[in-house]
Amino acid sequence: MAGAAAHDHHDHKPKGWVRWVYSTNHKDIGTLYLIFAIMAGCIGGFLSVMMRWELAEPGIQIFHGLASMVYGVEGDSAIDAGKSMFNAFTTAHGLVMIFFMVMPALIGGFANWMVPIMIGAPDMAFPRMNNISFWLLPPAFLLLILSAFMPSAPGAHGVGGGWTIYPPLSTSGQPGPAMDLAILSLHIAGASSILGAINFITTIFNMRAPGMTLHKMPLFAWSVLITAFLLLLSLPVLAGGITMLLTDRNFGTTFFAPEGGGDPILFQHLFWFFGHPEVYILILPGFGIVSHIVSTFSRKPIFGYLGMAYAMVAIGAVGFVVWAHHMYTTGLSLDTQRYFVFATMVIAVPTGVKIFSWIATMWGGSISMKTPMIWAIGFIFLFTVGGVTGVQLANAGLDRSLHDTYYVVAHFHYVLSLGAVFAIFAAWYYWFPKMTGYMYSAAIANTHFWVTFVGVNLIFFPQHFLGLAGMPRRYIDYPDAYAGWNAVSSYGSYISAIGVLIFLFGVFEAFSKKRVAGANPWGDGATTLEWQLPSPPPFHQWEQLPKIK
Amino acid sequence: MADAHAKPQHDYHIIDPSPWPFLASMGALIMAFGGVAWMQHLKGGSFPVFGYNMADANYWIFLIGLLIVLYTMFGWWSDTIKEGNEGHHTRVVSLHLRYGMIMFIASEVMFFVAWFWAFFDAALFPNEVHQVMRAEFTGGVWPPKGIEILDPFHLPLYNTIILLLSGTAVTWAHHALLHNDRKGLINGLALTVGLGILFSFVQAYEYIHAPFAFKDSIYGATFFMATGFHGFHVIVGTIFLLVCLFRAMAGGFTPKQHFGFEAAAWYWHFVDVVWLFLFTAIYIWGSVGGTIAAGH
Amino acid sequence: AQPTPWQATFQPAATGIMEQITWFERYTLWFIVPITLFVLFLLAYCIWRFRASANPVPSRTSHNTLIEVIWTVGPVVILLFLAIPSFQLLTAQYSPPEDAKLTIKATANQWNWDYEYQNAEPLSFNSAMLAEADRAAAGKEDKAAYPRLLAVDNEVVVPINTLVRVLVTASDVIHAFAMPAFGVKTDAVPGRINEIWFKAEKEGLYYGQCSELCGKDHAYMPIAIRVVSDAQYNTWLAAAKSDLPGANKALMAETDGAAKVAAAGN
Ligand code: HEA
Ligand code: HEA
Ligand code: CUA
Ligand SMILES: [Cu+2]
Repeated sequence: MAGAAAHDHHDHKPKGWVRWVYSTNHKDIGTLYLIFAIMAGCIGGFLSVMMRWELAEPGIQIFHGLASMVYGVEGDSAIDAGKSMFNAFTTAHGLVMIFFMVMPALIGGFANWMVPIMIGAPDMAFPRMNNISFWLLPPAFLLLILSAFMPSAPGAHGVGGGWTIYPPLSTSGQPGPAMDLAILSLHIAGASSILGAINFITTIFNMRAPGMTLHKMPLFAWSVLITAFLLLLSLPVLAGGITMLLTDRNFGTTFFAPEGGGDPILFQHLFWFFGHPEVYILILPGFGIVSHIVSTFSRKPIFGYLGMAYAMVAIGAVGFVVWAHHMYTTGLSLDTQRYFVFATMVIAVPTGVKIFSWIATMWGGSISMKTPMIWAIGFIFLFTVGGVTGVQLANAGLDRSLHDTYYVVAHFHYVLSLGAVFAIFAAWYYWFPKMTGYMYSAAIANTHFWVTFVGVNLIFFPQHFLGLAGMPRRYIDYPDAYAGWNAVSSYGSYISAIGVLIFLFGVFEAFSKKRVAGANPWGDGATTLEWQLPSPPPFHQWEQLPKIK
Repeated sequence: MADAHAKPQHDYHIIDPSPWPFLASMGALIMAFGGVAWMQHLKGGSFPVFGYNMADANYWIFLIGLLIVLYTMFGWWSDTIKEGNEGHHTRVVSLHLRYGMIMFIASEVMFFVAWFWAFFDAALFPNEVHQVMRAEFTGGVWPPKGIEILDPFHLPLYNTIILLLSGTAVTWAHHALLHNDRKGLINGLALTVGLGILFSFVQAYEYIHAPFAFKDSIYGATFFMATGFHGFHVIVGTIFLLVCLFRAMAGGFTPKQHFGFEAAAWYWHFVDVVWLFLFTAIYIWGSVGGTIAAGH
Repeated sequence: AQPTPWQATFQPAATGIMEQITWFERYTLWFIVPITLFVLFLLAYCIWRFRASANPVPSRTSHNTLIEVIWTVGPVVILLFLAIPSFQLLTAQYSPPEDAKLTIKATANQWNWDYEYQNAEPLSFNSAMLAEADRAAAGKEDKAAYPRLLAVDNEVVVPINTLVRVLVTASDVIHAFAMPAFGVKTDAVPGRINEIWFKAEKEGLYYGQCSELCGKDHAYMPIAIRVVSDAQYNTWLAAAKSDLPGANKALMAETDGAAKVAAAGN
């Protein structure tokens, strides 16, 4: 089949479902990823709002009811099933948001769409492999969803081990097929990401337009390049670790079973050797995006471009040697803890370079507060809040008190739900006119921002207080003293859910009003190559490669 | 469409829509689903989906998925070869393929890092005071007390030599190809494949006669999983080389264009190097002080 | 101690280590809050001062070596200021000032704790969350002292101003032993023994909770430690070996006031 139409392929795009299912076009695949990410974001958001609803008051409010609805159990077993179901929700929420929302949105979606265009390439290096990276995700997601309905621990359904799936809770603790499904789901999602990473690295190294040296390459491409390296080198280690889980569960090996000479903590090392780079995988593309947006709407070139690029390189590199800061309470030796405290703190320096360079980009600029810029500035501020609490957690002596409390939950939502997600929405509004050719309604978009801003801060700021007061995470029920801040947090989640609805309405509105956006709606601050193409760009762009001076 | 109908002014390969990615993904889904069913079957567990116990399917669903995946791999790579023959693999596209292969191997290296990590976690620290149960199991030594092990300088040494030889054989084939010596190419490849198969047989023999079990011990777990994944890579590499051999016999590859061959050779060298690490770490270093089982 | 409504800080410290942790947490705030406000201020200033209408012609500066050096070196200096007390705190946590006088082994199970006093004559008992139905029988009807989800049937009892060592392990999955007011937390890992120590300086009843996800009832396996005077501890210990509930009741009668226990129909 390939090659048959090789000579005239650029003349017309494939029709109907073939265009999407058999796609080899980076923009179409990017679109698929974005749709997937939006759906996953809604599911992950739904899970979190159910959790917050449950946590709105002390006692068990809804999960026994949910459990009897979904699993058909009654009475005391409904309460037990409900408790497990809450853990399954927490786990699924974490996994869905990270693997099926943020990563597909930033890497599969925006990077797929924009990196080839921004570096002046007609497509990705491996267009066909690009499509398998996408199409592996729905199966992975399906397996994860299926796992929610499968037996796990006795009397329980769904994977309730947390997104970190520590053994023995994930081995002997949950013998049913749910955990196997989730593990294989991660294998498949991981394979998808590794193939994607190979594709991006090859594309960025080999397909830059004539004249575009690495040091002239847009920062978004830089951020994706570094992210891809992190994926390539960290995910296989996770794959090894979860394969060990699988054989411990099903074939009698004892990697993590101490009675056979194994060690449960070994898994935590393997997991976090992946897991810490993973958090930078989630944020680096956002860094790249924010750089472009800040520059565009300040009508100024990025301040300290090289410093920006190499700060990301530094963050990525150091990110590989800090993993055990998630394990201060596992019984690491004093010297090991000292090392990880030191290494972790170092990351604040290159990150600071980025924050201050963004501000310096704005300094002296001619700033227009269009929607993408509002999200980007929200990102800079809220990410800083999450970043500095990360620096607190880096101190093992202090983390002793904060580990596994809501303080950690507050920290990582500030960098994820208020960091990565703000970057996603910033990118969405920045590139929506480019991708669709239509302009969104600024009024709806700005309402979306403010509602989300109020909502998420209301959810997560009080969680710092809960954490300090000692409330452990992954709890379905808490001592009554924690009720106050939990109620505030839950109200916040309802508000952010309304934010998501406003977002969806805004998308609908833009597609129905069809306001034509034009090639470059952002003016002369928008200098990267995508703004030289029509909106939406042609099916195959850069058939004549652009020349960079 | 707005852009001109002119031929693209670049050397990249814009690929036509292809069914393989989607099919392969569905194969992967079926394989994973079937894998869970199979594993539950092995454990005597259940896997209830819509009222059916999928565990009853044994390995059949898995097998169907695997066949789909294998079929798509065949179709996919056939397309790639065809496109190469049609001249789509310009210099820059060949460079892509090279980068892709190097990166793929880099990710494989990291995969083995996990298995070595598990091995060293236990082998370097069999006797930490706070790891009471491990110390009890190992008796504070590596290899763990009461476990009889293989003699590294017997079959494992032979296998080392076999793999090193096969590494030279593939280099011979490469040189022959560069000098357009078709016979040398085919003989070199055939020898490499033969040695690869021999390696796998020796390894299988060793597994069957291993004095320790896969289950219930960290020694068996780290040994069999690390060497087992290596063995799996040997088999994949052998098949890869075999495909190259068939292609060579059918007249494929030219001294200028033979990336498929090169990729197979790189992969083979990678498998070789992993073995050298396994051999020195797990077989030799990890056996110091251990009891060698009789007859090994 | 236990959490209080609308609390927004650490629980009051009952050990020297927790005092240091509390101090260090406040100390870090002196850096991170100003940093965050500084970022906020700069953002706000730029938005206002360099708005398109006020500054229609943007500058083209994109480099300034001096400022770049400053914002690299500045954070390094701040981090040094954080690191020095941080390392001192960490070291202190691993440097008990004296030998332990009492060693307790805490074994976590799904979903309760086994405690073993490793004295010449060992004492061991299980401690689980107090079921609401058992409140009356246990004489623990006062929810202020015995809060829902925190109160247990059998508290750990330790003497004041005594260095206590806890050996923490688990029998099934990973749990974590945490006592916020003491500034201790360590994972309870099957096959491993993690050691912590504390020296409580205030009498009272202290609550902590399992702090590693351990399955269904993770939220329902609290830890309660009663710090009492030497004399009370010795009396309790002597009695507990033969009659734990009796010893506990007797101790409660002294610490909580005899009236309540009597009212519980003892
Ligand atoms: C996007 C994801 C993301 C990002 C970017 C970060 C960034 C950081 N994280 Fe976070 N983290 C998570 C996601 C993320 N984290 C998640 C998901 C978890 C929990 C996982 C789980 O258990 O489930 C976690 C948990 C976690 C822990 C473990 C806590 C515990 O479980 O007890 C620690 C401890 O060191 C930590 C530290 C840090 C640090 C130091 C940074 C730094 O990179 C932050 C650097 C940024 C700044 C410092 C702000 C900007 C800088 C300046 C303005 C310069 C001046 C500042 C100073 C001098 C301080 N994180
Ligand atoms: C990116 C990651 C991410 C995001 C966005 C969120 C978003 C939210 N999370 Fe979080 N959460 C995690 C990652 C994330 N979370 C992780 C890793 C854990 C730990 C799990 C564990 O313990 O194992 C966790 C745990 C966690 C807990 C602790 C549970 C427990 O310990 O028991 C709670 C409780 O309040 C919570 C609540 C929320 C809420 C109310 C939101 C709200 O902000 C949700 C509102 C929704 C959005 C703001 C997103 C909308 C996005 C889209 C619709 C996509 C748009 C896409 C495009 C434009 C392409 N989450
Ligand atoms: Cu025990 Cu959580
Ligand atoms: Cu981390």
